[in-house]
Amino acid sequence: MTSSLLTTPTPPHVLEARRKRWIYGILTVFFGITQILWVGIPVLMAVLWSLVDPQHPWSFPQLFPEKLSWAQWTYVFKYTNIVRALKTSYSVAPLAVLLSFILSLPTAYVLGRKNIPGKKVFMLVVLLPIIMPGMVVALFLSRVFAAFHLTQSFFGLVLAHTLMGIPYMIRVLTTSFEAIPQDIIDAAENLGANTFVKIKDIFLPMVRPGLLAGMVFAFTTSIEEFNLTFVIGTPTFETIPTILYSFLGYNFIRTNASVVALIMMTPNIILLFIVERILKADYLSASLGKV
Amino acid sequence: MKRLIVAVLVLVLATGIGFAGGAKETPKAAPKIDLQTATWDQIVAAAKAEGEVTFYAWYFPDYFKEAGVDFEKQYGIKANVIVGDQTANFNKAIAEKDQPVGTIDVMIVGGQWVKTTMDLNLFYGPIKNVIPEADKLAPSLWEVQEGFLTRGFLAPFHRNQTGILYDPEQVKNPPQTWQELEAWIDANPKKFGFCDPSKGGSGQSFVHSVIAHTTGGLDKYKGDTDVVQSKVANWTLAWKWFQDRKDKLTITMSNNDSIIRLNGGEITMTVAWDDNVSDQMAKGNLFKRAKMYIPKFGLAGGGDTMGVLKNAPHKAAALLWIRHITTKEQQLKKFQMVKAYPARTDIAIEGTLLTEEDRKNNAIPWFPAPYKAFMISEFVKNVLMK
Repeated sequence: MTSSLLTTPTPPHVLEARRKRWIYGILTVFFGITQILWVGIPVLMAVLWSLVDPQHPWSFPQLFPEKLSWAQWTYVFKYTNIVRALKTSYSVAPLAVLLSFILSLPTAYVLGRKNIPGKKVFMLVVLLPIIMPGMVVALFLSRVFAAFHLTQSFFGLVLAHTLMGIPYMIRVLTTSFEAIPQDIIDAAENLGANTFVKIKDIFLPMVRPGLLAGMVFAFTTSIEEFNLTFVIGTPTFETIPTILYSFLGYNFIRTNASVVALIMMTPNIILLFIVERILKADYLSASLGKV
Repeated sequence: MKRLIVAVLVLVLATGIGFAGGAKETPKAAPKIDLQTATWDQIVAAAKAEGEVTFYAWYFPDYFKEAGVDFEKQYGIKANVIVGDQTANFNKAIAEKDQPVGTIDVMIVGGQWVKTTMDLNLFYGPIKNVIPEADKLAPSLWEVQEGFLTRGFLAPFHRNQTGILYDPEQVKNPPQTWQELEAWIDANPKKFGFCDPSKGGSGQSFVHSVIAHTTGGLDKYKGDTDVVQSKVANWTLAWKWFQDRKDKLTITMSNNDSIIRLNGGEITMTVAWDDNVSDQMAKGNLFKRAKMYIPKFGLAGGGDTMGVLKNAPHKAAALLWIRHITTKEQQLKKFQMVKAYPARTDIAIEGTLLTEEDRKNNAIPWFPAPYKAFMISEFVKNVLMK
């Protein structure tokens, strides 16, 4: 009896489960390795370079820096306008996100819900500011901004960042509007919902995941925007990338660039985590209109 | 959680709106004096009346920030020091060129941008006759910067020199003569690097030396104001020199990229600017054992200058800033902080990366500007694109 039990073949569903577990295991390891290579190592390198002691350079063939210190961080805070830049960046970005949302919403609604002639061409035109080289856009737009006396002003800077965020916001919101099932809207109309109720109870809840994604794109675009800010904003305003480019551009100083990159990166990562949490919590209910 | 996020958003928005308030300052009216004929005291008084100066640089944030503090202390004039990116600085200046009043008063001019900016008539001047003790500042640099005519419009504020930078642990006997360099490159494939001449002056200096040694020297170009085709007909020999060694040379992306690759062990010898090397070494980006020299076959040097923008809102303060940076005290302070060789010729300096003997015997002048521009475009066509 015991021996017959031992020789009983494993049932197919158990084998299937084992195979799935094995595949999931491999995929998890692959995902882990990819994350380490694409995200972990660059961030780790930036952290290490930012901590290199100036008196003990990190050179070949050393695998790790000989000595770590805060000297590079002290240098950046002492000799650059990083604090002023931080204040400006994190003041401009939320306003630019808000403005780009307000300006994008009607356009995205029309593009997502209405059949208008030349819709595809318009969708492409919307993306032009992010397809064209940044400095080219900046040089042309700076003329327009100068003509309207918007250079060297905070509002001008917010407007500039808004313009760079709008393509992302329109694109993501349009897709969200397109994804709303027509039968839900028809049902609401049959039940007597007016335009305001439809916007409040159907459109806004259902585009919320898209809105949050658009906000993340617009926010990070604003935080990372360099060309337009430099041309129309400096010397009155400096943002974090204007400091970063002084170490990252022609005069590439890896140690200092790492410090500024980490300063710029950290709040963005925190923001992404927060948004990710909100997206996970709300996506399902939002997609069913039950928020 | 949501309440917290909303609260944070409201706070940030409120800060932003609050920030929008008092940022823009109306520039003070420029005094009505002719800066070309005014006495220096009148210019200083005008600068004080202007009340501020905006200076654009792309390196040495440490030194320029300190210089700004000293300037404010000494004259009571606010110094806005913006350290940006070289290309972005010039793009901004060019973008504002047609405005009656721009936002930049004075900026650093690197060799790469001299021709473009002089052709565009971007700078006010000449200023050589206005700045006190101008004759004490590298006389040749007042007239020509890395081969391009500047005619007293751009004030020299430091000199630099290209040389060969190497790792003494890997290179025991660095080459001195042209033949020795060729032999070393042949024996150590890919270990010698120089930057793409369209991306940095150190690469231009090396290609300049290759032309000198493969086509019969540089004397024949002296005094030319345009490229004489018969004189450049044999530059094919220089391009052949590069093509023959294409698999043995490493072409880098910028002056600093050459230094970074040396630090990383990819190459063991490269052409570099002495001030770049000192800066990278001071910041822990290059090993301290690195050595530098000017080989006997010669490499070119130069320096950087400062120019006052034609539409500068504070021209008198800009001139005073240049004077401030070129005083003996500031030139010495700059050398102490960032090891940049002074533009002043009346200061004795010790502890430089390159020896005075090397500078005296082996530094060579650039050929005229048109040849340099031609050299860069021909290198791209005949070496990089082949």
